[in-house]
Formats: sequence, C-alpha cells, structure tokens
Amino acid sequence: MSTLEVKGLGVTYNSTGRAVRALEGVSFTLAPGETLGVIGESGSGKTTLALALMGLLEKGERVEGKVHYGGSELLSLPEAKRHTYRWKRIAMVFQNSLEVLNPVLSVEEQVAEPLARHLGMKGKGLEARVDELLGLVGLDPSWKTAFPHQLSGGMRQRVLLAMALSCRPELLLVDEPTTSLDPIARREVMELLERLQREDGFSLVLISHDLACIARLARRLLVLYGGRVVETGLTEEIMEDPLHPYTRGLINASPNFFAFRDLWGIPGEPAGGGTVGCAFAPRCVQSLERCGTDTPSLRHISPGRQVACNQGGITALLAARGLCKEYRLKKKVVQAVRDVDLEIKHGEVLGLVGETGSGKSTVAQLLGGLLKPTAGQILFQGRPFNAGATRREKGIQLVMQDPFASTSHRFTVEQTLREPLEINKVGGRGERQRRLLEALSRVQLPADEKFLRRYCFELSGGQRQRLAIARALVMRPALLLADEITSMLDPSTQANLLRLLKGLQNEEGFAMLFITHDLDLARKVADRIVVMQHGAVLEQGSSHRIFTQPCCCHTRELLAAAFGHSH
Amino acid sequence: MEYLVTFLVILTMNFFLPRLMPGDPFVHLSGEAGEEIAAFTREQREYFTVYYGLDRPLREQYFRYLAGLMRGNLGFSYYYKNDVAAIILGRLPWTLLMVTAATFLSLLLGILLGSFSAWRRDSWQDKVTYLFMVVFSEIPAFLLGSMLLIVFAGGLGLFPLAGAMTHFASYTGWEKIEDVLHHAALPVLTLSLARTGGIYLLVRNTLTTVLGKDYMRTARAKGLREQRIRYRHALRNALLPLVTRVALQLGGMVGGAVLVENVFAYPGLGRLMREAVFVRDYPLLQGIFLVLAFGVLAANLLADLLYRTLDPRTREGETYGKQKAAKTEQKERSHVPA
Repeated sequence: MSTLEVKGLGVTYNSTGRAVRALEGVSFTLAPGETLGVIGESGSGKTTLALALMGLLEKGERVEGKVHYGGSELLSLPEAKRHTYRWKRIAMVFQNSLEVLNPVLSVEEQVAEPLARHLGMKGKGLEARVDELLGLVGLDPSWKTAFPHQLSGGMRQRVLLAMALSCRPELLLVDEPTTSLDPIARREVMELLERLQREDGFSLVLISHDLACIARLARRLLVLYGGRVVETGLTEEIMEDPLHPYTRGLINASPNFFAFRDLWGIPGEPAGGGTVGCAFAPRCVQSLERCGTDTPSLRHISPGRQVACNQGGITALLAARGLCKEYRLKKKVVQAVRDVDLEIKHGEVLGLVGETGSGKSTVAQLLGGLLKPTAGQILFQGRPFNAGATRREKGIQLVMQDPFASTSHRFTVEQTLREPLEINKVGGRGERQRRLLEALSRVQLPADEKFLRRYCFELSGGQRQRLAIARALVMRPALLLADEITSMLDPSTQANLLRLLKGLQNEEGFAMLFITHDLDLARKVADRIVVMQHGAVLEQGSSHRIFTQPCCCHTRELLAAAFGHSH
Repeated sequence: MEYLVTFLVILTMNFFLPRLMPGDPFVHLSGEAGEEIAAFTREQREYFTVYYGLDRPLREQYFRYLAGLMRGNLGFSYYYKNDVAAIILGRLPWTLLMVTAATFLSLLLGILLGSFSAWRRDSWQDKVTYLFMVVFSEIPAFLLGSMLLIVFAGGLGLFPLAGAMTHFASYTGWEKIEDVLHHAALPVLTLSLARTGGIYLLVRNTLTTVLGKDYMRTARAKGLREQRIRYRHALRNALLPLVTRVALQLGGMVGGAVLVENVFAYPGLGRLMREAVFVRDYPLLQGIFLVLAFGVLAANLLADLLYRTLDPRTREGETYGKQKAAKTEQKERSHVPA
C-alpha cells in the first residue's frame, strides 16, 4: 500500500488540431485506504485526471507534472513498462457505456484476461477466481457465459467492478459508477463499493456527478473547474459551507443531495482551460475586475481546506453585527430585534424564517434602511451601511408583502417604474425608458406602451406584486429584500412569481433575503436558512442541514408543525 | 424465405434476359458480332425453331423452362449439342478455383495491409500504402490482367499465355498440380489485386473506428499484451463487417472472373458465357446464369450464418437472453447483503 502523490498535473489535448488545456496544475495526495471524491461539470477534466493516472492518454497529448506512486514516477514510464502497474496496482472502473466492454468477448474472458496476464492464472484456478469475483460483486457466476449486450446497465457496472478488482489493486479509480443506474442498482453499487473497500482496503478515487454518492463514500473532495482544482477539503465541510461560488452552484444543481429545493443550474457555459484570469469569472456572481486578469491559485483557508478564488471564496455582500432594535412604549421597552448577527453572501438566497412577531420584518426594514438600528453595525459590500445603499444601482432594494400598499393605485405603470430612476437620477430619458421596458418583460408583464399607460388599480394582485418586483429590478440591485412577498397571492400566482423571481436571481446573480413564515416555500427557494424567535437568531446553516438535522429544539418544533412529523 | 424469393426473381430474369438480345440462335450460329453468316437455309432455321419450341408463345416457353428445372434438367445446348449441365460441370471447377483462391488471397492481403495501415494511422507508411491501394483498386481488372499478361507472360515468359493446363501433356500427381497452379497464377493474381483495394479500405476504416472505441481503452488499461489487444480485441471486431462485405462482393468477383477468364483465355464459366452469348445459345446462357446466381446466393447465406456465430449480438435467442437477464437480476438483488 502506498500513497498516491500528484504534483502539478497538466494535460493538453492536441488531437483536434487545436490545443485544449484539459488539466492545469492539479495536485493532491491520497493516503492508503482513503477515498477522494472528484466533482465538476462535464468537461471539467475529471475523466482526464483518471486517464492520466492510468497512462491512457493518447501519444499526441501533452502530459506534465509528476505522479508518484509506490516508489516510481508513473508519467515518465514508457508505454512498455506501464503494464507493471496497470490493473495489478492501479485499476479503473470505466464509466458505464454500451461499448465499455468488448461486444464479441464473453464476460468470463474479459474478467479472466488480466488474471491470466498479471497473475499467470490458468485452467481451473482461473475459472474459480472468475466465479468468486462475480459472486463478490453480487452477480450469479452463470452470467460469465453471457455477452455484454445481454447485460443490463446495473449488471454491466458489476462486471466492470469485478474486472477492476480482479488483481486486487491497491488503488481503484471509479468513473461515474452510479449515474446511469436506476435507484435500486445505484444504492446497491454504492453499498458494494463501501463493503469492498472495507474488506480489501484499497484507496479510492471516486469521480461522480452524483453528490449523494460522493457525500456518502468520499471523505475528502476535489472540485474541478476548467481543468483546475477550485476547492478542496473535507466533504462534509464543503457540502455544508461551500467556499467557491462554483461549488455552491454544483450543490444547488444537485437534486440527489437535497431533494426539496427547486433545481437551478449554474448559468453560462463551462469554460475551456488555459484562459487568463479566473476561468469561472464570467459565470461568477461576485467577480471583480481583477478576476479577469489574475489567475487565482489554491490557498489555504483553514486546515485542510483550500480554495482558488481571488477573494478567498464566496464573500459576504452584507454583514450585520449585534443588530438591535428597541421600541419604547409608554412604560416598557420592546426589543423587536436582539443582537442579531447575519450574513448574506453574494448570489445566495437566504431564507429568514420564524413565527409572526419573531422580528423578521424588522430585520428587513433595518437592512433596507427604513428603520435605524438602536445598536449594532451593518456592513454592505465591505463598507458601513448608509442611506446611499438603497439609492444606487447595485445596491439594496426592498419588495414588501402588500403590493396594494407598496404601489400607489393612482400611478400608472410607467410612473411607478420610472419614479425610482428619477428620484435617484439614474440614466437619461432613453435609458430610463429602455430599462423600464426591460424590467417589465423580465417579470413577464406586457412590455408595451399600452400597458405602461395603465393605472395600478386596474391590475390584479399578482400583476401588482410583479410590478413591485420590476420596480426593484430597474435599479439592478445586488441585494433584494423580499418580505413575505407571496403571502397575499393564490398558490398558482405564488408559484409563478417565485419561479420567476428565483430564475431572475439565478440568472442575474443578485442575492436575496427571502423572509417567510412558510417553511415549505423556504425549503424550495433558500440556499441557507436563518431561524428567528423573539427577535433573536436561533440557528443558521445550509438549508439541507437545517431541514434534515436541525440542532435547535424550536426549529424542530417549527418543522414538525410545518411538515407534520418530527425531525 | 428471402433467399427463395430472390431465387425466383433471378430465374425469371434468367429466362427473359437472353431473349431480349437481338437476333436468334440460328441466324447467329457461328456468326461473330456485326457480321451475319447464315449457316443454315431458311428451311433448316424454321425446322430448328420448331424443334426447340421457339415458335411457341413466350409464356409457354417460360413454364416449360421452370418445369424442366424442377426435374433438374437445365436443357440442351443448341450449339454444343450437349447437355447444358454437363458442359457447365466441365467448366465450373476452373472458375471455382479462381474465385476461391482470389477471395482468400485478397482477404489475406487486404487484412494484412489494412491493419498495418490502421495501427500506423497518419504515419508516412500508412499514407504511402493508402495511396498505392487507392490507385490500384481503381484500375479495372481486365486492364490489370492485360498488363500482367504482357509483362510476365509475354515479355518475361515466366507464365503461360493462356489456358488452364498445358495441352497434350500427361502430367501426374505433383507435376499436374504444379502445372495447374502455374496457369492459374496470373488470373488469380489479377482478380485478387483488383479486389484487395476494397478490402484494404474497409479493414483500415473499421479498424480505425474500433481503435477509438471505449473497450479498446479498457483493454489497454488492463495492461494486456499488445498482441492480445490487437488481435483478440481489435481485429476480432473489425472483421465483422468484412464478412458481409466479402459476401456482397462475390457478385462483383464473379463478374471480374468473367472478364479475367477472357483476358487469359482461361477455360472457366466466364469464357463459356462469352461463347454462349455469341451464338445466342439460350439454354446454355440460362444455365450459366443460374449456376452463378446460385453460387453467389449460397455464399451470402453462408456469410449470414458465419456472421451469426462471429457476432454474439446477432445470435438467436437474444430476446430470451434479455428476459433471463431481467429475471436473474431481480433475483440477485434480493441476495445482495445490505
């Protein structure tokens, strides 16, 4: 058993005539018996990484860096010597496809081949070992006479696994073992991998889109984007608190990790490797000018945790420290908000939940600059918060519960939308007109002159709430405070509005504080959750943790009341 | 069943095709194309026409022909005044020898060169071989034959100019075989070379495709011996389309044989066919067509069967296998420890 040590691994594909950088400076170590998960979108270099370790890249591809394993450097080995470690020491379970097994050779022959080659087995002994291997992966040995086309996807996955395990490798590379399988076969393959690793003690590199599979099997995680490692650390920590915006996007896009949340992918197209600056910058919600020129390298953030981001990971857009609000009534002091610490990160939807009267709306009004805090400090984009934040572009906008109160019924649609631009002196005449038409079409209201001349009182509740959102969007906010925005709408209008809003948020990347007492909604929409009671924050964390493993008993009570069973 | 229908269609065409040619057997008897030498008097011609039943309506002639075939009777040659079956049997072995030998030779050459090229895809060796083979495969068989004949038989005198055996020689045993091979060498070579190009291209292309398949990467990852990767994994898959191709090409091969036999004055069916065409010997023509068509069909059938054993995906009982797969898998699921 040895440690796998990868240093500065880079791969350039040349075969298409155009050089494509597939991997860039990938380094990691893998201790004996450990499992490393590798995640990333298609084309991020996951499979290339495995192929490079196996020495399976074509002759034309340029590979640099060092891979130390068991006292030798694998990349510099000539092809003729590679058989000394292939399959015997490092084996691979290829991604399951129809043609991953040779169509004209029987299962038995394909499983037996490496045994005969590397261990010199033959005759009865060989046959017995093949039977044993098939049994090991839960396949009846009578299947050995079958041909690949006669197997189902799950069975093929087992054959691939049996084949890979045949020579008892010390290191197993597994490429997407579960993605093409039905739920039952998927669970079985995961259990199988877990059991076999426990019994055989091999190290495992697990490449997968399937975050649930990764979360279960891999202790450590490597996140690849455009051929670079953008984040690495303990799987549990990354899942709970992803540092890189890309990692967060991946987690948000994975239905198998937290099933209740609505699905939203990372907008934009994956980058090829080799660009100047941060490869993720065009899709990043917090990219700065320097992200286009400075290429971030992996930096330690905490022990065992590294991220490649010019800003050290997802930054806080707004941070509130020790926020208090007191109302002095005649004889008593009502503490509406007590010592609230709150952080809203770039591009996230923070769900603020709690009972009525828990201080949620007060927090929203403090953050929106409508109320002055009694004590505490609010930092917006790293600077102390002032009234200007709500008056400029890339600032804060507020959408409130009651559209009938928040939009004047005597105004026309045009007046309503134009007002913030005029008050805040944004843009010229043409620019304003363009913006308000754009905002209307964004919220799927008719963007024409006729609609602009209509009066607000003519509109339905849903339309008026959308108008209120459009009014916030004309200012192109970085943070949208949404206070119970759907509580007055019927379910269908609510569903339409929320999907619309979440879609806009995902596409434009603004952050949102989503205040609601409706936990079903929060579970669908929010990335992180803050639970409040009696003006204080009880608990906060990623929505999958809060909703599956709440710590605080009040949260449990809330969940039980909302979902009808205790957690 | 498909073969039966095909066969009937061929029979019908067999019958009508010779009769579509201008002229009739008795005008053209011993006449070369273009010139008409009447060897018979008007009375004699009328007599023959009635004698062979050619005055009857076509439909009747057709059914008679079919009925004769049913009884295994191929007819009686107008020109050779002999049983058609006997004439054909006398010539068949030579054509069979040539076609079989050429098929094997071209396969051997095509596969060797094709895999040579595929392993070295895009290297100069591949490019040279490719160019050479493409040029070669474009030269028509008869032209190639004439060239070989002029150079090796006419110029260098290494091979005989015509025939399948030395006339009037009474060789025995080895000497005879040697003589036959000596005569067959040039025709077989001509026919093979004309066919090798197609096979070469097919092998080169399929093998290149196969080399890019996922299972080839799997085989390499397993650290197997190069020999095994090349022959057991790659070539085995690349040969599948070749089986079909060779069978389909057989018709062309026979067509080529007809031309080559005429160039080398080789006494096979092709040469016989030419003679029969000249004299409008309907029964003999029909017989030759029939035998050739039958041969090609039989070879196709053989190829189908061969393909089935070579490619497990086309074997019978496949649906059964899948059902079995589903069932057993369900069973297995209950066995797997949680």
